[in-house]
Amino acid sequence: MAAHAATGAKTATNDVSHKRRKGPGALATVYLVIYNVVMTAGWLVIAVGLVRSYLAKGSYHGLYYSIEKPLKFFQTGAVLEVGIVPSSVVLTGFQVMSRVFLTWAVTHSVREVQNEDSVLLFVVAWTITEIIRYSFYTFSLLNHLPYLIKWARYTLFIVLYPMGVTGELLTIYSALPYVQKTGLYSITLPNKYNFSFDYHTFLILTMISYIPLFPQLYFHMMRQRKKVLGHLEEHSKNE
Amino acid sequence: MKCEKVEILDAKTKDKLCFLDKVRPPPRVCVHPQWYPARQSIRLDPKGKSLKDEDVLQQLPVGTTATFYFRDLGAQISWVTVFLTEYTGPLIIYLLFYFRVPFIYAPKYDFTTSKHWVVHLACMCHSFHYVKRLLETLFVHRFSHGTMPLRNIFKNCTYYWGFAAWMAYYINHPLYTPPMYGEQQVTIALMIFLFCQIGNFSIHIALRNLRPPGSKTRKIPYPTKNPFTWVFLLVSCPNYTYELGSWLGFTMMTQCLPVAFFTFVGFVQMTVWAKGKHRSYLKEFRDYPTLRSPILPFIL
Repeated sequence: MAAHAATGAKTATNDVSHKRRKGPGALATVYLVIYNVVMTAGWLVIAVGLVRSYLAKGSYHGLYYSIEKPLKFFQTGAVLEVGIVPSSVVLTGFQVMSRVFLTWAVTHSVREVQNEDSVLLFVVAWTITEIIRYSFYTFSLLNHLPYLIKWARYTLFIVLYPMGVTGELLTIYSALPYVQKTGLYSITLPNKYNFSFDYHTFLILTMISYIPLFPQLYFHMMRQRKKVLGHLEEHSKNE
Repeated sequence: MKCEKVEILDAKTKDKLCFLDKVRPPPRVCVHPQWYPARQSIRLDPKGKSLKDEDVLQQLPVGTTATFYFRDLGAQISWVTVFLTEYTGPLIIYLLFYFRVPFIYAPKYDFTTSKHWVVHLACMCHSFHYVKRLLETLFVHRFSHGTMPLRNIFKNCTYYWGFAAWMAYYINHPLYTPPMYGEQQVTIALMIFLFCQIGNFSIHIALRNLRPPGSKTRKIPYPTKNPFTWVFLLVSCPNYTYELGSWLGFTMMTQCLPVAFFTFVGFVQMTVWAKGKHRSYLKEFRDYPTLRSPILPFIL
């Protein structure tokens, strides 16, 4: 009996401290809102850039060059959010790392792939995803999340994720012959550090790693979707 | 207050798994027949630490009816098995590269030997290191836990075997480049390596002697007559300190970047372990020497 009372009191204090600890402080919130707004704006700039460039050129080819700089800037800027956004550090960190890798170590480094349509494929996927994701974070922080944004974040990935992955894999694949020919980023023996690195093989291994990794991330989002959108019947639509 | 009844609940579902109406000393609880004792975790709090085998029911802070929580730790494997497997791998794998077994290097090098004497020396040191580890596992170490989760053997073997193959590939490569400062560098490196191997062994013996056979007691380790143990004055886990030293020696001896990586990764892991051990020493012993650092004197 005494034990039950003790546990009761314990949960009460836990609740209070939990409420106090929940959510970032005022200054942190301002920083996060600004960050997310800036990122949303950045990716909107990329989106607009793509559309304008397409309308001007009249074709899907070579649109990469019109948004190369903002893409590099805002995608690289995303490293700031690792450990800051509400998602898991491991997942965010991994995601950002793979994006930065695609942006710099593949697309930027191997000029010849920049004209490929596969680049457009993943750029479009990333752009739509990020615009929705950063607006989602922004609205969440302001405690005014439109259901549409929540729905979009947890639904559009079903198409955008495979689309992005396809674009990424095709891009890496098209970079392979150039990397092999030029020996890009590769170190050969002999050398005084007794070390070697074959970037061509590394890229192939990276492509293979998508096989176990992509399904895990995809199904994680599926589970999140069920959790977040699952109680459609319980909540009213005016959020 | 004498405990007379015991109930055991599942830590996650809170289902009642077992109820003992009259507790007669000494009670032995076996919750599920297919879950052997090594994988059973019985605790007072669902999220708390496991009780130990030696804990006595009447000495625990329970009322007349004790409530325990059961957690399945998953399939277990003995520490000895894991150690023997993870150490035998590198021993054999390195030798495969040393003897240039086919399909590793170009066919014209099959079964040839390196012309650099440092490569032969490195093979002897590497092999000696793992033979020492195997013998220590069989005859020296006294383990406080019998088992660890089964998945650890896959994780650990990937680490040891993978790195061994990676290092051995370069050291025994036909295009291997011997150390920059030649014989001088190798000799100094060898002395560091041997010094630290002896040191590491001395610490293992000292730790073994702290614990009578078959017991799981924990005592503060102190320097003994053996000078190699005097480092206990400054460090909680000198076995790790010496291990780091050995691999630094081996890195210097081979001048091989993958060896440096292996040394670094091992150092990071050992630092984590040393800090944990240091913390539990501080928690358990009020009179723990304050001069000691976990792994590097005064630094870390």
